[in-house]
Amino acid sequence: MIEARVVLTNKLGLHARAAALLTTTAAKFVSTVHIQGNNRTANAKSILMVMALGLTAQSELRIAVDGPDEDECLQAITDLIAHKFYEE
Amino acid sequence: MDTLQGRGIVAGVAIGKIMFPVKAWDAYLAQYQQGTVAEETQKYHAAHRQAVQGIADAVVKAKATGSTETATILEAHQSIITDPVLEESILGRINSRASAPLAVRAACEEIAVMFLGLKDPYLRERAADIRDIGSKMASLLLAVPALEFPDEATILCAAEIAPSVVANLPEDKVVGLILGQGSETTHAIIMAKARGLVTIVGLVEGQLDKLTEGTAVILDGIKGEIIVEPTPAEVAHYQALVHERQVLAAENAKTASWPAKTTNGKRIIVAANIGNPLEIEAAVRHGCEGVGLLRTEFIFMGRDSLPSEQEQYEAYAYVVKRCQEHLCVIRTLDIGGDKPLPYLDIPKEENPYLGLRAIRISLQRPDLFLTQVRAILRASAHGNVALMLPMIINQSEILAAKGLINRAKSELLDEGVAVSTYVPVGIMVETPAAAVMAPTLAEECDFFSIGTNDLTQYTLAVDRGNQAVSYLYDHFNPAVLRFIEMTIKAAHARGIWVGLCGEMAGDLQATKLLASMGLDELSMSATAIPMVKEAIRNSDGDEGLARRILRMATAEEVRAILAK
Repeated sequence: MIEARVVLTNKLGLHARAAALLTTTAAKFVSTVHIQGNNRTANAKSILMVMALGLTAQSELRIAVDGPDEDECLQAITDLIAHKFYEE
Repeated sequence: MDTLQGRGIVAGVAIGKIMFPVKAWDAYLAQYQQGTVAEETQKYHAAHRQAVQGIADAVVKAKATGSTETATILEAHQSIITDPVLEESILGRINSRASAPLAVRAACEEIAVMFLGLKDPYLRERAADIRDIGSKMASLLLAVPALEFPDEATILCAAEIAPSVVANLPEDKVVGLILGQGSETTHAIIMAKARGLVTIVGLVEGQLDKLTEGTAVILDGIKGEIIVEPTPAEVAHYQALVHERQVLAAENAKTASWPAKTTNGKRIIVAANIGNPLEIEAAVRHGCEGVGLLRTEFIFMGRDSLPSEQEQYEAYAYVVKRCQEHLCVIRTLDIGGDKPLPYLDIPKEENPYLGLRAIRISLQRPDLFLTQVRAILRASAHGNVALMLPMIINQSEILAAKGLINRAKSELLDEGVAVSTYVPVGIMVETPAAAVMAPTLAEECDFFSIGTNDLTQYTLAVDRGNQAVSYLYDHFNPAVLRFIEMTIKAAHARGIWVGLCGEMAGDLQATKLLASMGLDELSMSATAIPMVKEAIRNSDGDEGLARRILRMATAEEVRAILAK
């Protein structure tokens, strides 16, 4: 299992659109992905659980990935967050 | 017997028997034949597939008909219904011997409650979407047919009701709606208003429990009252009222499309206030002469990013085209800290009504304003459009806004985009500052429209939502009337037209006074139009009445004179 800590720097945090992008990215991999923030953990392949974390901009979160393609998966997700979910 | 007090949304009267559209669930659930775990799992998968397909079909249909807003909502439903954690929760419940329909509803309810606990209002509202999906799958599993209505007059009663249900109510059977605490901006209520269905909202918690299936009630949408188990005398009284209104409505329907003139020959334009493009059809049916106030907040709310220029253009053009030869006055964004938009970054304010809102946001965020103005100017190519600025207090705000409007116009022309050659620019007069400074502001305006709701609140320093002081809120307060008078005089001295678009415009008690004060236009909710037109035809338009009333000391005296 590998993990990373990141800060959400996009404008809206894990709002509907960002949450949707995050879950579709996570769903492309067989590894299990968990996001931790606001003292709770969510399955990153579930848009409902990700949104329900209620993570706003500047929140800190921990991403934990476990599985055969964990390296590529973690890379894809941290890239997405680093690019602010491609919001303008 | 018992009377429940709420708020009437549509001013009519309805007599009928209570029906709870959700009650049927229990009956269907009781009849449900629960199978083995494997059978229930299979039934769930079948219902899930059917529901997913149903949403996918609806998305295609929405996109094909250009309803981008609906398509976005449906796409969100798609990602919810295919959510792996939701599915896991449902299957887990079935494995613990829950029936498939119960498992679906319980799993959705659990997640919905989780969302209701979130701070963000946008995310909180998603709870309704999750519940909607739960009911969709559960009705498939229970084979619940579409709502069936008895042959007698029915009044539908629920804490919440899905907009699709309101849209499909048979007009000949359902005569009224009671919607618990429903807020006036929900889609269901917007549609009920557009259909002119007598609707009461704003009941105190627990009051709904006093109503049971089949109870006879009278809805008085004028007073906002629900009379439970009325006496024969009450029924007779209200039946006469219903009959009277039917006769009147039939007469008004004949004359609704005719113009309205006072007996001394003064023509007053009667236009519609519109909060959602879908309302324009009903407004035209009620005989509106164009739109005096197109609120644009609808397109900015309930979403998590700014609407594009194209999306705004399509929505505005839809209304403009249906106004045909009449004017469509489009008001730029009028929003503030009381209805925060997640993507606007307006900090929470102590006092949002005195804070960063309306034109103040537009001038601080020219990017946002320019996009909206470009969309409005493009829509102007389809008919007669005027642009209206909300919450003005200084002439400099008008000049700054006009600078941006002119910039947008020349950019569009440079791009070779069709724009009407003349798009008048006016303001809402809704602050005491604007009323006092009306002669100065008029120099830069093509028209005024008096927004009496805010003007009354700001003039009397009364928040009408605050029950401790709402009794002080009254548009007949002489202070408000004098501001209206000053605004009309200033407009006419400058040779521009002046309208009134607050609730006062639809108040039948006010019509002869407004006609006498010399307003050129009144703009109101669609259902009020035929009756106000008739009231104008019965007014003499003589200035004497206004002169007399403006000397009064209290709202009570004003009302006493108008009641004569």
